Amino acid sequence: MTGRAPLGSTAVEVDGLTKRYGAVEALRGVSFTVAVGEVFALLGPNGAGKTTTVEILEGFRRRDGGTVTVLGVDPAGRPRSLRQRLGIVLQECAVESNLTVREVLARNAGFYPDPRPVDEVVELVGLGEKADSRVARLSGGQQRRLDVGLGIIGRPELVFLDEPTTGFDPSARRGAWDLVRSLTAGGTTVILTTHYMDEAEALADRVAVVAAGRVVAQGPPSSLGGRDVGEAKIRFALPDGVEPAALPVDVRSVPSGFEVSTTEEVEVLHALTSWSIAHHVPLVGLTVERLTLEDVYLRLTAASGAPLPAGSATVERATGSKDRARRAGARRA
Amino acid sequence: MSSAGPRSQSAGQERARQLAGELRLVVRQLRYEQLSFWRNRFGAIFTVGFSVVFLLLLAAGGGTQRSSALGGIEEIQYYVPGFAAYGVMSACYNNLGIQIVVRRQTGLLKRLRLSPIATWVLFGAVLANAAVVSVVQVGLLLAIGRLGFHVVLPHAWLAFALAVLVGIASFAALGVAVSTLVPSQESAGPIISLVFFILLFLSGLWFPLTPGSGLAQVANYFPIHHLIVAFFAPFDTLPGASPWAWHDLGVVALWGVVATVVALRRFEWDPRRN
Repeated sequence: MTGRAPLGSTAVEVDGLTKRYGAVEALRGVSFTVAVGEVFALLGPNGAGKTTTVEILEGFRRRDGGTVTVLGVDPAGRPRSLRQRLGIVLQECAVESNLTVREVLARNAGFYPDPRPVDEVVELVGLGEKADSRVARLSGGQQRRLDVGLGIIGRPELVFLDEPTTGFDPSARRGAWDLVRSLTAGGTTVILTTHYMDEAEALADRVAVVAAGRVVAQGPPSSLGGRDVGEAKIRFALPDGVEPAALPVDVRSVPSGFEVSTTEEVEVLHALTSWSIAHHVPLVGLTVERLTLEDVYLRLTAASGAPLPAGSATVERATGSKDRARRAGARRA
Repeated sequence: MSSAGPRSQSAGQERARQLAGELRLVVRQLRYEQLSFWRNRFGAIFTVGFSVVFLLLLAAGGGTQRSSALGGIEEIQYYVPGFAAYGVMSACYNNLGIQIVVRRQTGLLKRLRLSPIATWVLFGAVLANAAVVSVVQVGLLLAIGRLGFHVVLPHAWLAFALAVLVGIASFAALGVAVSTLVPSQESAGPIISLVFFILLFLSGLWFPLTPGSGLAQVANYFPIHHLIVAFFAPFDTLPGASPWAWHDLGVVALWGVVATVVALRRFEWDPRRN
């Protein structure tokens, strides 16, 4: 067993990565770094370039430009010494259906110099009772867990998870998340792609939002796109007969009543509640809400020319620029 | 090599050690390929069972008649090498071609490409698997022919072995090549098997072709008829004919070479999306 890189050193470095398929520019200068021991999530709409980026890091696809270092090595030549240090879980459940769980794991263990014991992996992915069942007889969720097992059988230093919980029921998702957390507890670096915001929020130390072949934002999920300091939404309803024109601030009509988006929520709340007390008019169901990760994501991806997902009020006013959003919010307030 | 110093000698030993490791891995992979093949009842029956059942049916339905197209020998003496050739073609072209499409479209090839296993180890095992299935079938059909119908076994064993070898290599190449032309898992069976069975029908598997007939002229362009002839010749049942069907082996090999070029140029690891 070779010594692993210490926690905090660089596991993956991507700089100015470009790739085109014919006339389509799939990647237009993607850059990010991932530290050893980190869980890094690539978020983005379908076709944004997540999978292409990951496939280049895995050595499966060649890049057109930019530099890429994975565990200190350029993956372009698919050196075997690098492949032995990677674990890869693809979107497709790709396992020979006529072999048993144990056989498939044992076979793949033979590809690596220092694999985990098969029984250990069987337990880790919770397939103890199915170890001698043929893969064809597993449920979809069980096959997915076997997939994850195959991804970690070689004791990888870096694991790629491509949409690991797509199609899972809620309890299976929790199980998968626990598994990812147990990997990182052992110091394994994880790069995952997902379009579930709650997944990114639950697992990732840092996320990068990819849209139209570029990284449009990156950072910890809690502060991505300035959502920790950005605008808040104040919502309430008014009793029948009270016109919003009487309010001290400009509001928008929403199905549940009225809404104010502002970066100065303390001031706006003060104005509203003072008015409410002075005029004896209740603010029914008053709530203050920060932008969700999804709000930020939708803004970022909409601003960079990706197709607009339906059903988000914030998208209509998306500007992609924190300052402009702030000014707009202040004006409305 | 005597001038090489101890360092290059140990480098040579290292390479030899690595090669031995890789070969062990091929054998190991082959074991799993075999498990996978024989457990897939549909594939095993279609490939192996089919040839045995048809040989028995044809033998029962007048296999001891004498064929005018073949100089008056018993037809069963033609069907045994014919179905042995079918067995090789079925295992190497039909089964392998469909298997590769399915593996590509389900992402299995991609996963193996991403794993540390060397490409040649992977393909070595897959091709060896097709070869083992082929040889098992040839052995089975010869045994049935000999024990059940007193068929004469090949006199020219070397010529027969060469025909089996050329058949396995060329039809495996054709199987890989045709897999690159199939866009989806659903169309693999229809495209690959349909072509196969139509050509089989035209190529004299069910009945010996009369030399010079229109059908024989069409069949001449394709490798199937030539492989059947190359399997038949070493039995040495026709007086004055050579057991070495060089012309036929050459045509089969030529198809194999073209197929290899197509396979190498067009092979893809990731699932094709439509």
